[in-house]
Amino acid sequence: MPRRKHSRGRDRAARRPQRHKDVLHGHGGHRADDFRCVDCRLDVSLDAPGTAHRNHCPNCLASLHVDRRIPGDRDSDCRGRMEALCMFTRPDGEWMVVHQCLTCGELSANRIAGDDNPLVLVRLALKPLQDTAMASRTMLAL
Amino acid sequence: MSSTNNTLKIDTFACAWCGLTVSAVAADGARRNHCPSCLHSQHVTDHVEGGPSRCHGRMSPIAIAVLRTGDWMVVHRCVRCDELTSNPVCADDNQLILMRMAVRPLAQPPFPLEALGSL
Repeated sequence: MPRRKHSRGRDRAARRPQRHKDVLHGHGGHRADDFRCVDCRLDVSLDAPGTAHRNHCPNCLASLHVDRRIPGDRDSDCRGRMEALCMFTRPDGEWMVVHQCLTCGELSANRIAGDDNPLVLVRLALKPLQDTAMASRTMLAL
Repeated sequence: MSSTNNTLKIDTFACAWCGLTVSAVAADGARRNHCPSCLHSQHVTDHVEGGPSRCHGRMSPIAIAVLRTGDWMVVHRCVRCDELTSNPVCADDNQLILMRMAVRPLAQPPFPLEALGSL
């Protein structure tokens, strides 16, 4: 699905630049350019539309716990499977996925890519609204 | 010599964002770690290595996560070091802020949601 253009607000020059990428994929680095999803075994290429930091499968949003503190440091000893936990929005309107490691419970955030499955993304964003008890409590609080 | 055993212990903390003085134990006995009014927290535990953290930055609420049991968790992010934590919501947390965070992604979708209606 095409990404909606941000016509309102700041122009592109005022937006925050992406973090410098220092993981050397394919230059004698740790592995070749693509990875295989731990959950659905899909072969995923690293050149994603819209982001230079793809870390999750575009089909099922599963990821792998390889980074420790800084994104891209590949310093974690865990290597556990990370599942998409929830969705939040940056102040500039970009959706971010929060992953939680199933082994150690660590959380990490990553921007969605242009080819991520929109059904899975919307399903994740709608998860808090499935239970109507909280919504009715909010209406009572108003 | 008077013992301190029979003095009433009231454990409180001041919210790092709105300054509200909050009792550290909620009404149902659960330990509270964020302000019930503005949901902000403070970075005192290091979740990568464990143990106390030296950061002590303010943590702002960014997202609502739903467990398999249906309970809501608030995901906080430290504004100093960008670390993420998740904590269960309390019964007296501000419902408006919780619901605002829950519907926030749907208010600004990155792709038109109308196309999903035709599925």
